[in-house]
Amino acid sequence: MGKFTKEMVNDYAEKLLIGLTDEENLMVLSEFDKIDSDINVINEIDGIDKVLPMSWCLDDFSCELREDIAEESISIDEVVGNCDDYRVCEIKIPKVVGNNEE
Amino acid sequence: MKNSLKSIVSLHSDLVSGKVSSSDLIHESLKRSHKLQDECNAFVTIMDEMSGSVNDNLLSGIPYGIKDNYSTKGILSTGSSNTLKDYVPFFSATAVSNLEKLGAVPVNKTVLDEFGMGGTGTTGHTGVVLNPWDKTRMCAGSSAGSACAVAAGVYPYALGSDTGDSIRKPAAYCGVVGYKPTYGMISRYGLFPFASSLDTCGVLTRSVEDAAIVVDGMKGIDSNDMTSWDSSSVHLFDSLDGNVKGKKLCYVKELCDINNYPDATDELKEHLSNFFETLEKCKSLGMSVREVSIDQKLLNAVGSVYVVISCAEATSNMSNLTGISFGPRSEGDNYHDMMKNYRTKGFCSLIKRRFVIGSYVLQAENKDRYFFNAQRARRLIVDRWKELFKEYDAVILPVGSGPAKFLDDSKNSKISNIEPLEEHLQIGNFGGFPSITIPNGFVSGLPVGVNITGNCYDDVNVLNIAYALEGSMDYKGMVARGYDYEV
Repeated sequence: MGKFTKEMVNDYAEKLLIGLTDEENLMVLSEFDKIDSDINVINEIDGIDKVLPMSWCLDDFSCELREDIAEESISIDEVVGNCDDYRVCEIKIPKVVGNNEE
Repeated sequence: MKNSLKSIVSLHSDLVSGKVSSSDLIHESLKRSHKLQDECNAFVTIMDEMSGSVNDNLLSGIPYGIKDNYSTKGILSTGSSNTLKDYVPFFSATAVSNLEKLGAVPVNKTVLDEFGMGGTGTTGHTGVVLNPWDKTRMCAGSSAGSACAVAAGVYPYALGSDTGDSIRKPAAYCGVVGYKPTYGMISRYGLFPFASSLDTCGVLTRSVEDAAIVVDGMKGIDSNDMTSWDSSSVHLFDSLDGNVKGKKLCYVKELCDINNYPDATDELKEHLSNFFETLEKCKSLGMSVREVSIDQKLLNAVGSVYVVISCAEATSNMSNLTGISFGPRSEGDNYHDMMKNYRTKGFCSLIKRRFVIGSYVLQAENKDRYFFNAQRARRLIVDRWKELFKEYDAVILPVGSGPAKFLDDSKNSKISNIEPLEEHLQIGNFGGFPSITIPNGFVSGLPVGVNITGNCYDDVNVLNIAYALEGSMDYKGMVARGYDYEV
């Protein structure tokens, strides 16, 4: 095993609000090792550090600001149509403030 | 009458002449859908209540399939994920709306690898999609259900999306045509995002002509997608003339030379031999074909570049999947636990692992070494391909290492140095290049494919080369063995 640890993997998963089983954690560890060795392939490319990173495949997007004109919006019913718990026009979640007071 | 096996032009002619009605076509397509669902599990949803009518457009009244990562108003759209297993959008993707305006009739939503993140057709929440040519084999992915359904003659076309090779590899494995146009030709609005800088809408068909007709119907600039561009002067179907005399093609020595694979299987040898026979057909059509050499380091980097960039973008794109405002809500004492339960139980193992990788490469301390270096390598690879396009009209290459792989991975041969051959289609996404796969023969009794990729905005040229080549072979309009049946 390389420089990655089970605790590291769990920490990165927790940041994403994802829980991993021990088996999944082990698979990520082996994948990290593979990626780390693969990235060395990239780092071996001559002059890689002088290349401008490519974020998008096309560089000729024409962006126009839309006119500030009010348009008819979707109905509240449509917005909450896929929500499992709401009241009238507001999505319900468990109480946030004061819920975990010691 | 096997209407579903006909071309779009032929079906339109039959509809206009009254030889067949739209309801006949829809009925036949639905019957085929239910049979295929029992046999290959290609669909998330089959819409039994659809109806259509005929107008002047070639696509009117003709049934088709939609990959389940396209938003469809009022119709379940899951992305083949448990996290959206009950999600019904209140709007349709622009590409779907464009087809609807023309009178095209969707009859089912097809299975994909969860959110498009996979290449096997095995990670959708409704189960594995089987290859209609051989049910012990995979369709590849992620557009597995679409490829399966088109190959089984359910309808002439189905929508796909392509982030790495998700249209073009399933097409090869299922013996159909898979076309990914230039990035931005078709709006991505309403397509569930996977990796936004790579995601491209496209189509699977049984002929190049049908692919041109469908993308003509899907494409167009869209104010809801700033990366879409005005293609109103591009008429793909009308531009097909098969005149390719004098066109220049090249192939990459390092990918196609059998000597680079010391432990090559018989299937790989046959696949590459068949590819060189296809090149001879290109020459007989008046095209020149040259061998070019690419730095092996660049080719070896392709897979890593794809993993790093796509995982990073996916991690960000799918952070809105919380189960709070949409998706099936999970239990929890607080909103944090609710979201964690939802994401932990909802995503398949593969997706969770990719997210963690994406998170890792985006951390401030890792970003330069992993994410930015992958983006730098992406530019080097794309620049090398653009150099080729200064001299050549297109790059022609075999798709993968042979026919569809077994679902049971223990039956698949492991070949050294094979990754660049398996992964080179991702270069089409790095550069946003138009890229099409067509069937070019059989290996082990199963279809294999050849890919043609050209420069951005040069879709007409790419399609014409594919159209001419298709005409010189015997695989146009092919359906899987056993699916050429009467309904």
